[in-house]
Amino acid sequence: MSMYQQGNSCTSEHALQNGEVDPAVKALEARQDEIMRKLYELKAAVEGLAKTVTTPDADLDLTVSSSLSSQSFSSTTLKGTTDLDTLLGKDQGALRDIVVNANPAQPPLTLLVLHSLLSQRYRVLSTVHVHSSVSNVPPQLLSCLGPRHADSYARHMFQLGFTLIWKDVPKLEMKFSIQNMCPIKGEASVARFLFKLLAPYPSDPALATLVDSWVDTAFFQLAEGSAKERATVLRALNSALGRNPWLAGPEFSLADIACYCCVLQSGSMSSAPTNVQRWLKSCENLGHFGPAKLLLQ
Amino acid sequence: MTKEEVQGAEEEQQAQSKKALKKQQKEAEKAAKKAEKQAKLAAEQQSTEEDDFAKDRYGVSAMVQSQQKLDRALVRVQDLTPEKADQLIWLRARVHTSRAKGKQCFLVLRQQQFNVQALVAVGDRASKQMVKFAANITKESIVDVEASVRKVEQKIESCSQQDVELHIERIFVISQAEPRLPLQLEDAVRPDGEGEEEGRATVNQDTKLDNRVIDLRTTTSQAIFRLQSGVCQLFRDTLTKKGFVEIQTPKIISAASEGGANVFTVSYFKTSAYLAQSPQLYKQMCICADFDKVFCVGPVFRAEDSNTHRHLTEFVGLDIELAFNYHYHEVIDSITDTMVQIFKGLRDNFQTEIQTVNKQFPSEPFKFLEPTLRLEYIEALAMLRAAGVEMGDEDDLSTPNEKLLGRLVKEKYDTDFYVLDKYPLAVRPFYTMPDPNNPKYSNSYDMFMRGEEILSGAQRIHDAQLLTERAIHHQIDLEKIKAYIDSFRYGAPPHGGGGIGLERVCMLYLGLHNVRQTSMFPRDPKRLTP
Repeated sequence: MSMYQQGNSCTSEHALQNGEVDPAVKALEARQDEIMRKLYELKAAVEGLAKTVTTPDADLDLTVSSSLSSQSFSSTTLKGTTDLDTLLGKDQGALRDIVVNANPAQPPLTLLVLHSLLSQRYRVLSTVHVHSSVSNVPPQLLSCLGPRHADSYARHMFQLGFTLIWKDVPKLEMKFSIQNMCPIKGEASVARFLFKLLAPYPSDPALATLVDSWVDTAFFQLAEGSAKERATVLRALNSALGRNPWLAGPEFSLADIACYCCVLQSGSMSSAPTNVQRWLKSCENLGHFGPAKLLLQ
Repeated sequence: MTKEEVQGAEEEQQAQSKKALKKQQKEAEKAAKKAEKQAKLAAEQQSTEEDDFAKDRYGVSAMVQSQQKLDRALVRVQDLTPEKADQLIWLRARVHTSRAKGKQCFLVLRQQQFNVQALVAVGDRASKQMVKFAANITKESIVDVEASVRKVEQKIESCSQQDVELHIERIFVISQAEPRLPLQLEDAVRPDGEGEEEGRATVNQDTKLDNRVIDLRTTTSQAIFRLQSGVCQLFRDTLTKKGFVEIQTPKIISAASEGGANVFTVSYFKTSAYLAQSPQLYKQMCICADFDKVFCVGPVFRAEDSNTHRHLTEFVGLDIELAFNYHYHEVIDSITDTMVQIFKGLRDNFQTEIQTVNKQFPSEPFKFLEPTLRLEYIEALAMLRAAGVEMGDEDDLSTPNEKLLGRLVKEKYDTDFYVLDKYPLAVRPFYTMPDPNNPKYSNSYDMFMRGEEILSGAQRIHDAQLLTERAIHHQIDLEKIKAYIDSFRYGAPPHGGGGIGLERVCMLYLGLHNVRQTSMFPRDPKRLTP
C-alpha cells in the first residue's frame, strides 16, 4: 500500500511541475509523512523491546514512551498501585510540595533518579533554587531536574511538587508537612520516602530487609567506604546479580537505584565485574539514570 | 499615750538631732572643700598666666569664613593604618570622648563610623595648659589636630583603628559643641535590655528623632543609611542593566489615583489638589507611550492615620512597571530578580554595615532563594488552615495571618522573601486583571520580607472596555477616572508592575522593628518635625 501511494505521489509531483495544482497532492504527502513517522516510532519501539531482552523486566524507555501514547503508558518497571491521596493525605486543593535541601558539594544522585521515576508516574512540578547560604552553584546542578515544565506557571495543575534547594547543609534534609512531620535527614532516608510513592515496599519482611540492607551497604560502604570495602561490595553485588536479574530478586527496587548511584559516584564503574557490568547496562536501559550520570561528567 | 510610745518618740527626737548634727558637719566640710577648690582654681589661673611655652599650639580658631585657602592635606581616620606610623599628619574630626588623667589627656576622635585614640601629654610639645585645654573641649566639638601616628603594642579594642594612636602636637577647635548634649551617643547605640542590667541609660525613640542630627551621627544610623543608599543604588543599577528607563512623575495631582481615601489635599491657587499616593497612573501612561520598561524613585504620600511600626505618611517609593509579552509572570520574574540582585549586593558589599546594625539590634541574617519562591494564594490558605487558622477562600490576609504564613514558609523553605500569587479578585483594586480560568481569582501578587508585605502588584487591565466594566462593578465614579481609562483607548501593551517602600525594605532586611529607624526624617500622623 505504501508503494502504491509512493507511486501516486510521484505522478502528482509531475502534475505539479506541469503547473496543475492537485489538492489531493497535499493530502497524500501528509499521509505519507504520517506513515513514515509511524514507521520510525515502530522502529524505536522495536529497539526498546530489544533492550528488554538484555534488561529483565524493563519497559520501553522514555523517548519511546513519549512518542507513543504517553497517557496510556504506565511503568511496568515498578508494579503496584499507589495513590498520592492515601499515601500523603488529602491535598486540600493546594500543591503537595516536597522540599529537599541538598549541599552542592554532594549532589543526591539517587534522588535525581527517583525524581525522574516520579515524573513519569505523576504530574510533578520540579523547581531548583539556590539558597543565599551558598554562591556559585555550577550550571549543571541548576538544570539537574530537566527543563522547565510548560505548565509551570500554574502550580495547582500538578499532583506533586519537587523543590530542590541547593543550600549549605551538613546533611541532606527533606521537609514535607511541617505540621505533622519532622524534617527527614540523610539521602537514604529521603530515598526510601520517595520510593514508597512509586511502589509499595515488599510485603515479604525478608525481602524488605534485603532491600534495606543493600541501601545501607550502598551509602555506608560504597559511597563512604575505603577502596577495600568497595571491592568487597562489588564482589557481593556480582554474586547476588549472578542469581537474580535485580539485587532484591526478580523486581527492580530501591536497592538497585541506591547501588547504581553509589557505584557511579565511587568511580568504580569500569572496574566492576561482569554481572555488575551487565546489571549497570540494564539499569541505564531504563532511561532514568541519565540525569545522575550527566551530573558526574 | 503609753509609756512605750513616749519612749519611742524620744528616741526619734534624739535620732533627729543626731541627723541634724551630721548635716551641719557635712555642710562645713563642703564649705571647706569649696574654699579649697577656689584657692586651687586661683592658683591654676596664676599658673596659666605664667609663661606657657606651647600657647601657639592650641586654642579656639577664628570661625572659618574662608579667610585663606590652606593647602593642608587632611588624612581620613579610616586611612590611619600602621603604614602611616611615625608620620606627622593633620586631621579633622569630632571629639567623641575625652578623659584627662594627671599630666595626660586621652581623646577619641571620630569621623563617621571610624574612630581613633589620641593622646596629649605634657612634654616638650605640650604644656600643662595645653593638656588642660584639650581635656575641656566639649564632646562632639570639631577639632583640627596635628599629630604623629604611632603603632601600639596592644590593640585598642574600643576604636575602629585598633593598631595606631595619635600623639597630638597641635589642637585647634573649629566648631564648639554646647556642653550639654540632648543625648549621649553611647547611650543611643546601646542595645535594648543591656542598659537596664547595668543601670545605664538608653535613649527612647522620640528623643532620638527630636534630635535626629545627633542621632544620625551614631555608628548604627551611619550604617543604616549607608545601606539604604546601597539599596537605591542597586535598584537603579539592576534595572538600568535590564533596559529600564528611569522616569519622574508629578507629585501634585488633580485626582486621587487610588479610590480617594487616604489622600492629602493641598490648596492649589483657587482650587485644591492632592499629593500623589503612588505614581502608578503615570507609570502606566509611560507604558502606553512605548517606554516598555520604566521605574521611578520618589516620595509617596498616604494620609492614613495609622500609628504602627510600619506606616509612614510620606515614604520613598521604588516603583516598577513593564510591558510583557504573553504572561504576567514575566513581570514577577523581573521584579523578583531585581530584589534578589539587591539582596545579593547587600550580602556581598555591605557586610560591615549589617554587622554594625546587628550589634545594637541583633537579628538573623536575611535568607532568600534564587529564583524566588512563588506560592499560590490557595496554597497559603491550605498552609494556614493546616495550622488552625479559619478563613474563607476569598478573604484577604490579616496582618497576624501574614506573619504566621511568613513563619510557616520560612520553616519549610527557609526563605525570608517569597511571592504570593493569584489573590482573590474581590480583595484587589478595580484595575487588576481577572484570572482567565477562574473568575474568583486575579493575576495579582504580593511580595513578602520576613512575613511583612513589601510589594503589592498585578497585571493591570489594559483594555478600556473591561476597565470600565470593572470600575462600574466597584461603583467608582467613571467621570473621576475618565483620563485614566482614556489612556488605554489608543492601543496599550499588556503590562504589570508594583511598588515597594524603601524604608520598609531596609527595615525588614536588617530585621529592625520600626520603620522610623530607616527613615531619615520620618513623617507620621504625630510627627512633622524635624
